[in-house]
This record gives sequence, C-alpha cells and structure tokens, in this order.
Amino acid sequence: MNTDLSPEALEFGRTARRALEAAGGDELAHAGTAARDGGEAAAKVLADLGAWDLDPRGSAEELEAAAALCRSAGWWAVPHPVAERLARPRDVPAEALVVVAGDGSAGAIAEAVTRLALRWIAVDLGGRRSRATPQPGAVPVGKHGVAVPLDLAPLDDGGAGDVALGLVLPCWTLLGLLDRAIDLTSDYVRVRHQFGQPLSSFQSVQFQLTDAEVERLGVEELAKHALWSVSTGRPDAVADALALRVAAVEAAEVVFRITHQLHGAIGFCDETALSWLSRASQPLRRLPLGPSATRAALTDNLGHRGLAGLFS
Amino acid sequence: MLDYDQGPQVADLRSRLRRLIADHVPPDYLGAFTDDPADLEVAHSFCRLLASEGLLCAAWPEEFGGRGASAWEQTAVREEMWAHHEPRGAQYMGVNWVGPALMRHGTPEQQRLHLPAIARSEVIWCQGFSEPDAGSDLASLQTAARRDGDGWRISGQKIWTSYATMAQWCFLLARTSRGERKQQGITVFLVPMDAPGIEVRPIPCMLGPHHLNEVFLDEVWVTASDVLGDVDEGWKVVQEVLAFERVGIARYARVDRLLHWAPAALGDAWDGLPDELRSRWARMLVHARRARLLAYRVIATQQTGQVRPGDTAAYRIAVTRLDQDSAEVLMDIAAELTATDDEARRFRRAVEDHHRYSVSATVASGSIEMQRILLARALLAAA
Repeated sequence: MNTDLSPEALEFGRTARRALEAAGGDELAHAGTAARDGGEAAAKVLADLGAWDLDPRGSAEELEAAAALCRSAGWWAVPHPVAERLARPRDVPAEALVVVAGDGSAGAIAEAVTRLALRWIAVDLGGRRSRATPQPGAVPVGKHGVAVPLDLAPLDDGGAGDVALGLVLPCWTLLGLLDRAIDLTSDYVRVRHQFGQPLSSFQSVQFQLTDAEVERLGVEELAKHALWSVSTGRPDAVADALALRVAAVEAAEVVFRITHQLHGAIGFCDETALSWLSRASQPLRRLPLGPSATRAALTDNLGHRGLAGLFS
Repeated sequence: MLDYDQGPQVADLRSRLRRLIADHVPPDYLGAFTDDPADLEVAHSFCRLLASEGLLCAAWPEEFGGRGASAWEQTAVREEMWAHHEPRGAQYMGVNWVGPALMRHGTPEQQRLHLPAIARSEVIWCQGFSEPDAGSDLASLQTAARRDGDGWRISGQKIWTSYATMAQWCFLLARTSRGERKQQGITVFLVPMDAPGIEVRPIPCMLGPHHLNEVFLDEVWVTASDVLGDVDEGWKVVQEVLAFERVGIARYARVDRLLHWAPAALGDAWDGLPDELRSRWARMLVHARRARLLAYRVIATQQTGQVRPGDTAAYRIAVTRLDQDSAEVLMDIAAELTATDDEARRFRRAVEDHHRYSVSATVASGSIEMQRILLARALLAAA
C-alpha cells in the first residue's frame, strides 16, 4: 500500500506551481479572460518544464507527474487545457483529448481554450472517438462563457482506453482549484475582523470551513485512487473515474458556496483570486457531465455489481 | 508510487476471517447486544475462537501475546469485524485500546494481570469516562478519588457506559486534585466492577440492551496498584486512548457490505427501483469508498510515525455522516423490498439495525462537533 504520489511527481508539481507563480500567478487567469494571452503564457512556462513531453500513458511515474501538474495548474486557474493536452491520444495525430457526453453526436468545450489551434479528439463514455472542432462563431453563454459547442466528425471506436484518463486528469485540475479556494479562505478568515475578533474565532465560520475541507480531502483521496486505477489498467477504471467525478463536482459545489460565503462581498470582486477560481471551475464542473448526469452515468455503469470495494 | 493493493498477506487474512465468520457466526447475527442472550454467547465463543487462532490480539506486540500484525492487517480485522456486526462484541475495546494503553502506561504487574486475560478473551472492560455534566467537555468530570490508607476511595457517577452490566473491569477517570486547568488532576483507575459500592443501572434505549448504563460509585475502594500511569496525569493517557478509538471503528465496511448486498437482496426488483434511488445508492458507494480512503490516509500517516489530528477528525466526520446518509438510502431501498424469503428478511433486519445504530454515529466516541473543532484547529493553525 502506498497512498501518496511519488516524491518526484510531488516535486514536479511544486516546481510547476512556482514557475506559474513567477510567470504571473493569479494574473494568468485574469489575462486569460481579458487580454487572451494568459493561457499561452502558461503553456510556454509548462513547455519549458517539459510538461508536453510527459507520456502519462507510458508509465505510472509520468502519469503521477501529469496529475501533480494538473493540480498546480488548477491552483492558479490557468486558462489552458493542461489536463486535456496531457491526456492526448497516442495512436492518432492530436494534441488534446476531451470527453463528451452522450453518444458522440454532440459535445462542448470550455470557451477559454477554443482560440487555441489544437487538434482535438473527442471520446464519449462508450469509447467512440471523433475529431472535434469548436463551432465557428458560436456564442459563449454567460459573462465569461461556460462552454461552446463542438463539431464532431466520427473517427473510430477505439477510445475505450481514453475515457478514464480523460475524466481523471481534469478532476486533478479541479482539485487544485479547491485547494486554492480553501487556502485563500483559511487565510482570509484569520485576517478579517468583525465584532472585534477574527472571523476564524466564530464557531459557525470554523464549522463551514471544516465541511469544505472534508469534501476537498475526500476528492484528493479518490483522485489518487482513480489515478492508480488508470495506471494499473484496472477493468473498473471508468467506474473509478466516474466515482471520482461524482465526488469532485459535489465537492466543488460545497467548497465554492462556502468559500464565497466566508469571503463576503470581496469574494465577488475581480481583485480577489477566489472570484477567478470560482468562474474557472464552471466548465470543469459542468463538462462533460454535471452532477446529476455524472451520477446517472455511474449508476448505469455499476448495474447490479456496485463499485469495487471490500464487498463487491 | 501509488499502490492500493494490500498484498496477499492481507487478502489471506481477510479470507480466513470470512471463513471463520461464515462457519461460526449465524447468518442472522446483528451483534452481541440484542434482546436474544444467545447473541452474547456467540460473541463470547467467537472471541475465544479468535484467541485460539491467534487472531484476537494479532496486532499486539509479540511480547504481549500478539504477533505484531501490520497496520494493514489490523485494518482488515477491523473492517471484517465491523462489516459483520462486530462478532467480538464488547471485546473490541479491550483489544483495540485498553490493552495498548496498558502496554504504554501499565506497570509490569498490571500488564501481567490484565493483558493475558484480554488476549484470552476472559475479561470484558467498560469505559468510565462520561458523566452527567461531562460529555464532550470530558475534562469537567467530577467523580472524585481521595487517598485512603494505601489505596483510594472513589465516589461519583458515570453515564452512557457501554457494557457496564457485563464488564469485569472499568477504565475509569476520576479527579484526584484540582489544578489551574481542568485537565490537570485527573487520574486513570483500573476498577474491578465487583467492588463494593458500585451500582449499575441499565438505560433502555433504541440501540438495544447493554449499550447504555449509569454507573454509581459510592466510596469504592481500590488499591494504589490500580492507578494507571501517574497520579494527576491521566489526561495524557486519555488523549492517547481517544486517538485509538477515533480510528478504531471501520464504519464504512458495514456500509459497503450493506450497499453491495442491496441489489442481490432485491433481485429482479432492483431494476424497477426509481432511477433517483439507484443514483443515491451509487453516490453512497462513492462516499463509502471516500471514507475508506480517508481512513487509509490516517493509517498510512501513522505508519510513518506522524500524527495529523486534522486528518483523523476529517475521517471521523466523513465516516459518521456516511453512516447516517447511507442508512437513509438503505431504508428507502428496503422499503421497496416485497420478497419474503430468508435473504430479504435478513437484509431488512440488517438495514433496520444499521439505521437505528447510525443515529448514535455522530455522537458516540467524540461528537461530530468535537471533530469539527479539531479539524478547524488544524486547518487554521496551518493557514
């Protein structure tokens, strides 16, 4: 038994986080939306670190390094499809992989990455693959756009091995967002005083924060387990990935609701990192499946046998 | 690198335990503490069997009669026992934390007297901690001990004392002096339950018999050799004991077993359940895995000699909530069960028992509020 990533993977993740901070840190997310170059800046930093040379499908060591990298990208809400690029298929020419819902006839992608000239492969839960192109001229929904639709051109049925990896790595990015949201909030409630004392001295504040932290820790453990499932090629890898996603999207709802509440009005403001993290989390939480659809997909996958466990 | 395979040794132990349970524990068994006295006898005989097989105290060091089983073997024992309604009955307390506390703090004489008796399953212990005015605020306890010749006289009242009606010994906390802080001046006494002056009154409750009792102590005399550790220094011992207890119960294992049993118990009717209910079932399976992995996080950390109180508290919060959330889902599933065969009946009884018992999950062994306080302390100190 070993419940930790390798020291090398953890160090790679830390190095990436420091490098992204040096390249702008929170400014990367701001620039990604406003000046539209934050993602490219981050991509260059990651390229210099050798991120795009990683082969997560080739070895467990590189898969763990990829996961640690996604988590660090999430910490800074990097507006670049880091997880999707790391999950790219090896058997067809492509630079990125996205999992799509349904039968492969439709899909969507985070608006923030549509400007990149990448060759995308889409894979649905049944392993059907398509070449995917963001629909030209599609109008993103909302102020910063959750998603834009994809045009899908059927390719093959060879994507069974892509699904679990394509689901798991973005959850590591989401985990990084949750890490940061709780870290920021823990700091904020210690320095923000009301009624003559720090917010952190109020038990109602403490208890909300602990509820968020239990959710985050749970995602961390499930993320490691699902990664191991992928790296060892377990037959349950897709169920394990969906189980992770069920927990991750539920946790995100709890964590962002609580961290926004504890930040108060400052949490909405562009000057506050939480505001950017919260917005950046939306595509990860809704695509390819939101909470209800993820639970439904997992339920279908499990049938009568249940999730692999002590008594499966 | 990550590796969640516990290895052949743990797998073999798990298989061996399941065979023993299948052969020696009736399929209807729902724990030692029911209205049927035969269930209590099942626990007694099963503990003797485990002892004879060298499995009751396998986790103990060899010098105390164990075989130094690994942390993951210990975990497998906890999981298998709790999943099958704890066929060790009250004995788990002696094995899990009274014994280890005696190993750390007991005199050689105390160790010779008590440890072999626990290892052979000849004795049951109860825990004299809570009092009417000292629950979560345990350090406010008022039961007092005063010196009397070469021993001590103890007077006071304990409450919520599980197994007090059947226990031979009590691991009891009493105040021996008053310091600046209420945690000072507390001493641990090892009290024989047949000592004159002890009266036990059962408290009828929804959990079943033996779970809750009041214990009244009226000038109970114990010898100086019945003090565990140093006089007035019992709080340190208590902190260790509570740490053992917090990771002691593998609640997720019973939840996992019941959830996996549900489709088999319902058979063809499973597919006719409302989609929303099957979705809640799947979600609970995720939460059961989550709690198990959080437990493994704590155990893995302990193996490196570190203690992260926040992680332990987070696990306890997750697992006790799981107990209650899963109980609601399982009761809804059981309500859809129309079959009347033996398996359906056993499933319904097990689910009903789980639901009734789950009510206490967020209260027993340190309330969820205390766990949140511990987690908040760790989180905000680290911030």
